[in-house]
Amino acid sequence: MITLTHCLVVSACIFCIGLYAVLAKRNAIMVLVGIELMINAAILNFVAFGKYDESNYGGQIFALFAIVLAAAAVAVGLAIILNVYRKNKTINLDDITDLRD
Amino acid sequence: MEKFEPVISETIDHIIASSGLLKPEIALAIAFLLSIISSLFFEKKFKNSTFLIAVLGFISAFILLIPQFNDPQEGFFGMIRRDDFSIYGRMLILFASLVTGFFIQQHFKHKAIKRKIADVYSILLAASFGLSLLTITTNWLLVFISIETVSIASYVLVGYLSENKKQSEAAVKYVLFGSACAAMMLYGLSLLYGFTGNLDFTSAMHIQGLISAPKILCSVAILFLFAGIGFKLSFAPFHVWSPDVYEGAPTPITAFLSTVPKIAVMILFSRLCASWFETFFYFSELTFLLLVVIAIVTMVVGNFIALRQENMKRLMAYSSIGHTGFLLMAVLAFVQGNTDVLLFYMAVYVLMNLSAFLYIDYLESKIGDANIQSFMGLGKKLPFTFVGFSLIGISLIGLPPTAGFIGKFLIFSNVFELYSESSEFAYLLLLIVGAITTVVSLFYYLKIPLYAFLKENKSDSVIKETFTFQNCLAFLFCIAVVILGIFPSLLLSLLK
Repeated sequence: MITLTHCLVVSACIFCIGLYAVLAKRNAIMVLVGIELMINAAILNFVAFGKYDESNYGGQIFALFAIVLAAAAVAVGLAIILNVYRKNKTINLDDITDLRD
Repeated sequence: MEKFEPVISETIDHIIASSGLLKPEIALAIAFLLSIISSLFFEKKFKNSTFLIAVLGFISAFILLIPQFNDPQEGFFGMIRRDDFSIYGRMLILFASLVTGFFIQQHFKHKAIKRKIADVYSILLAASFGLSLLTITTNWLLVFISIETVSIASYVLVGYLSENKKQSEAAVKYVLFGSACAAMMLYGLSLLYGFTGNLDFTSAMHIQGLISAPKILCSVAILFLFAGIGFKLSFAPFHVWSPDVYEGAPTPITAFLSTVPKIAVMILFSRLCASWFETFFYFSELTFLLLVVIAIVTMVVGNFIALRQENMKRLMAYSSIGHTGFLLMAVLAFVQGNTDVLLFYMAVYVLMNLSAFLYIDYLESKIGDANIQSFMGLGKKLPFTFVGFSLIGISLIGLPPTAGFIGKFLIFSNVFELYSESSEFAYLLLLIVGAITTVVSLFYYLKIPLYAFLKENKSDSVIKETFTFQNCLAFLFCIAVVILGIFPSLLLSLLK
């Protein structure tokens, strides 16, 4: 029997993995993957909680919209990373440091 | 299926009845679609057709707003709430977007770039569509959708025109930082939804759920939520992207990013605070504490780091971080019911920031860069520009006789009233930090007249004053700032 707690623990784990990838990885694509994991953890949460909200289905609707918006944001992100690669010939974030104080 | 049938007709009736609420947004959406079509098919034959569509879209949305005054309404099952506060906010947003449209057109008129400028207007329309939705909603779903609309549009605005290393770097920093913050906010929202089972943050059910939520999880959710809002408002510690992005993006885009999204998110944030401060439970105290701490840290960070900036755009980035701190103080006044204080400060902020960036763009086209050192001795050669620019600097500090003074004065007197009523230490601390950082800001804004008028320039480069769109419009704003400084009641009586 899978309960709400199971879902929440899994989503918390996924969120932490994503956050770790965002903070620790230096490759821009890996950072995007981390962001994607974080968003998916939130979506899992929404669907799990949505089971108990039978009047409005707010959680399920939110999950659908979040999936669409995440896809749009990642598409733009990839385009911008491609653009950076063309200009800098690298996507390692430690090497892209022209702008700083 | 049968049990839904009577509900469906009722639902459709409700949606049709409330679609009148969204007239300005519908105008913007139509303009957005038309602008895409025109940039695809008509731009070659009729130059500037997309620009004209964008301008018409903004103006028609503005006109559609005017008859909606004094008529607060709800629609779409409580997802959309219209009141006068949101109408003023949307007017500011549309006005600033319109100015940005003209600014972009003038900025790229004499520049040879590979990309099509026409598409930028479409993205600008999309961004202002998202922003104006943000001002009329209290529902987390719509909040998230509009924040993401604005974010994606701004990533494209910064990245689309990038031509060199620096500009593409600014875009990639913006997109990664922004998406990470949005993901955190989404996780926070999912927790809030779990506690409350409701997505409307003003509803009784939501507040009730937050009251009974466990303390640690509630703090985590609110902190994650603040990460997303903090990114859009660029308050500390989520401000680190803004100087880099402001420096890397083209000047008109920077002018847009530093003013318009802040207004919309500030309206959302003040609504959130107004509904969450009402109770005496843990989450209200936490939100209040976070607001005070963030305001203080933001003012300190913004104003002190601005002191050692040489590049005018980076300086403006830190200055706008400092102003965000002040706006957070104005939120406290808003929570007490003084809507006009917040609106007045935002209106003045829009005028000041837009004209500062117009001047920066003009000077960039004249002398090639935006470093303060290159302004040396230019005051005599470009008197018309630098008199206006210095006045804007004075207004940004908050000295009389400018509108910046009135804005800061209203905020200070409101917070002082709050302090004398409740004698809570937090208010006193806010007042002290606000006063100190205002004094600190003297030192970097006054660098502009210092370098322009008091330092001599030995080189005899030929720079002559020309009257372009940028410095004429900026001068107009400058006059408006001074007039509002002497007769603040012109605007305040409107906002009351």
